[in-house]
Formats: sequence, structure tokens, C-alpha cells
Amino acid sequence: MANPFTTLTRPVPGSDYRVPSPHRRTGLLIAAVGLGLAMITLIANLMAGGQVEESAGILAWSFGLTTTAFGTVKFGIAVILIGILVRIHHRWDSMKEALPRIKATGDGSRLPLGQVDTPYGTATVIDRAPGSLPIHKMARRMWGPMLAMGAMFVVAGFFVSLVWSSSATGDPLTATRAAAWTQGLQFLGEGFLLSGISFLLGSILGLVRDGGAEVQQSLGLSVKLLDMPNTAKAFVGLMVTGLMISIAQFVFYVYAAANVTTINIAANSAWLGPFRELGLGLLLAGIVLALATIGTALAFQAGRVREIIATGR
Amino acid sequence: MTTNTTSRSFDVETTDHAQGLNMPQRAGNKLWKPMLAMALMGFAVGVLLAAVRASAIANGDSASTIASLGHLVPAAMFAGFASVFAAISFAIARILGELRTGGGAVQESAGVPVETLKMPPTAKAFMGLMALAMMTILAGVVAHVVIGAQVASGSASALADSEQWAIWLEGVRRFGVALYLFAIALGLGTIIHVLRFQAIRIRELASETTR
Repeated sequence: MANPFTTLTRPVPGSDYRVPSPHRRTGLLIAAVGLGLAMITLIANLMAGGQVEESAGILAWSFGLTTTAFGTVKFGIAVILIGILVRIHHRWDSMKEALPRIKATGDGSRLPLGQVDTPYGTATVIDRAPGSLPIHKMARRMWGPMLAMGAMFVVAGFFVSLVWSSSATGDPLTATRAAAWTQGLQFLGEGFLLSGISFLLGSILGLVRDGGAEVQQSLGLSVKLLDMPNTAKAFVGLMVTGLMISIAQFVFYVYAAANVTTINIAANSAWLGPFRELGLGLLLAGIVLALATIGTALAFQAGRVREIIATGR
Repeated sequence: MTTNTTSRSFDVETTDHAQGLNMPQRAGNKLWKPMLAMALMGFAVGVLLAAVRASAIANGDSASTIASLGHLVPAAMFAGFASVFAAISFAIARILGELRTGGGAVQESAGVPVETLKMPPTAKAFMGLMALAMMTILAGVVAHVVIGAQVASGSASALADSEQWAIWLEGVRRFGVALYLFAIALGLGTIIHVLRFQAIRIRELASETTR
């Protein structure tokens, strides 16, 4: 059975490659809503700062809403990345149609098989298009569930932040428990959302690789593919570490919520806050490397297309 | 749904030869790595300071030490976030640069006039908001460091106002993050625009080429 999330990343059958992307418009709209929510929380914090003694309730819901705002913008970014996947499909279709007519006729010979050095890194020339790499298959399967779970945890955390806010002045024990649950849930959600975005970037890398191989094979040429760059390997490492930290911080917060009366909450909060931010920071660092890898892969492919046009092989 | 859109429907510049990178793309090429390195350093320092602060709280150290570290920890972490978002923005600019130079070089090798997209409004907004977001977060970081230093130096008034400033600055730096994320969305939206242009232009090459 086809993965329903994978279907979303392909052009609708019969769709026109020339029309503007609905994903771009929708994604930017969702992101703008997120920015609007962040503006509300900025105003809330500015007001709360002016009345520190009575600020606990405001700070509680504004924390929940801020993280929801971040999650909303990230969800908008994910929608735009889905649009990029759809557009890359259109681009491959255009290449398949145009290249047979613009490439040089060539002398009938094919590139020698084996490894070659290119300005973008080592590449391998093979006879025919290989299948997708396991990591790319996993990325295609996982981005949807990650985004769905991320959104659910962020929204659930927002509702718990309302409990935190309402109990902030009258019921300190409930407020402390709700604070721990809010932070744990929402940062787990943010971690899943960033993982979903990372998997979408992995899907883009997979599509750039597999689509390029397919185009070369459809032209009857040897398939020249860039070997996995070190930036891609480091991307996977950072993403896994970031996600593990996001899960670990959730476990620590749940433990803290269950043991409010027996552990030093202030001391634990002092390191848990930056620890949960470290998880997101590492996920974002992984995203930098994924984008850098996409840049390298695109440069390699432009070089390969020029080679095909000029030599026909 | 069909449309008569051609590459000329876009705002393009036509030249004989492929164009090179524009200034923001050159900056993107050079700066994404240093920004990533700075981000990782910021996170490492932030976590280290957080461990020191947690230990100070557990040991019952002075209020000024705890309050001072309470400002320095977010300063380090958000210096890290500002850097990592900058690295993401520069990496997006690098992708846009590869699409621009690669697309131009492919047209040039096909022996047709080279059409290059002029910078779309989303790309201009991307750069403007990125700069604004960077300044917002860095303003928060600098303010945290200044207040943290004042509290550490023993200023009683700084210690008294410390929490109020922490609340205000938290709002400012969080808004900076949301603004940065929105700028990144605009940068990625620009990539969609460029890919659409390229899908149209590639098909046109087949009818224009003299091969």
C-alpha cells in the first residue's frame, strides 16, 4: 500500500508544471499565523515584566503560546518543503522531455565505470540507476508521522500551559507539575517537528539523487552519482543526537513532575531548560548540513547536465 | 488547469553568458560554515554555564551569582540560536546560488540566450527579515550580558530589576526566533519559485537550441 504521506510529495496527476505552487502560498500563510502568535506573546511578556509579582499566570500561558507559535511557523516551513519536493518532480519531468533533444549525439561510447573525482567530491559511474538508499526510504516514510506527532505534542502542551496558568497563583504544587509537563511536551513536539523537517530534507536529497539517476538512465547513458558527502553523514548524526536529547528531556520533565515534593525543582530546571534547547540546537545544526548537502548535490547535477549536453555521454 | 506561462513571464535578465553568484549568495557560500561553528560553541558554553548555575542553586550560593548566571545562560544559548539560524539562511542562499549559476551554465552549454531570474520579492524580504531577526536576538543577547555583568559586579539595583529584565528579554529573543523562522520560510519559498522557472525554461531550450 502506498504511503499516504509520500503521495503528498508528488505532483497531482495531470497537474500543470507552469502554475504557481499552492504549497508556497499555504506554507507562507501558516508561517505568518505563527509570527502573529509570537507577536501576541511578545506583548504579553512586555506587560508581565511591568508587574513581576503578578506575572506568573501570564508567563505560563505565554510560554505555551510562544512554543505553539514556533511550531506553527515550522509546520509552515514543512508545507513549503513538500512544495519543493513536488517542484523537483516537475523539474525532472522537464529534463526527461528536453534533454534528448538538446544533448550532443556523441560517439556512442559510454563513460567508464568506477569512481571519479569531481569538483564536488567523489562520484561513482554505474551501469544503471540504483534503488533508493535505505536512509532516503526511511526519510520518505518518517516525515509525516514525525510532523503529526510533533504538532499533537505542541498543542497538548499548550492546553497544559492553560492549567499551569490558572493554578499559578493559588495552587503551587499543581502549577509546578503543569509547568514541567508543558515544557516537556512542547519541546518534545518541537523536536519531532524539526525531525519531520529533517526527514523532508532527507527526502529532497533522495529525490535529487534518484531522479538524477533515472534521467541519465532514460537517456541510455551511464549513471554518474555523487557519493554521500561527509556533510550528509554528519547531518544524520546530529539529527539523531538532537532527537535523543529531545526525548530524554521529556523523560526528565515527567520524572520531575512526578517527584515535585522530593527533588530540587529550581536546580533541575536550571539545567533542563538549556538541555532541551541543546536538543533543538543540534537538530537545527543538522538541518544546516542537510541544506549544504543539497547545495552540493545541485551543483554536481548542473555539472553533469552540462557534460551530457556537451558530450552526449 | 493550463496556463500560457513562459520563462519570459518571469522577471528575467537575458545575457550571452551564464551569470555568477550575486553578493548575498557569495556571502552564503563563505559564511555558513563559520556560523555553524559559532552556533555549536554557543550551545556548548550555554550548557556548561547552566550546569554551573544548577550547582550554585543546589549549593545555596549567593543570589547575585545565581541571577547573574541566569542572564549569561540564555545569552550563550541564544547567541548559538542566532548563529544556527544565520547558518541555515546562508545555506539557503547557497542553494539559490547553485540554482542560479547551474541553470545559467546549462543554458549557455545548450547555445541559447541565458535567462536568469532577477531577485524575487520573497528573496528580498528573506534577507531583510533575516537581518532584523538577527539584530533582535543579538540585542537580547547583549542586554543579557550587560545585566548579568552588572548583577555579578554587586549592583543591588541591577539584582532587584534582574527578574523584570529577564521577562522582557525572554519575550524579545523569542520574537526574534519566530521572525528568523519566518524569514527562512520566505527563503525556502524562493527556492520553489526558482524551481518552477527552471522547469519551464528547460523545456524551452529544446525548441530554441540549434543542435
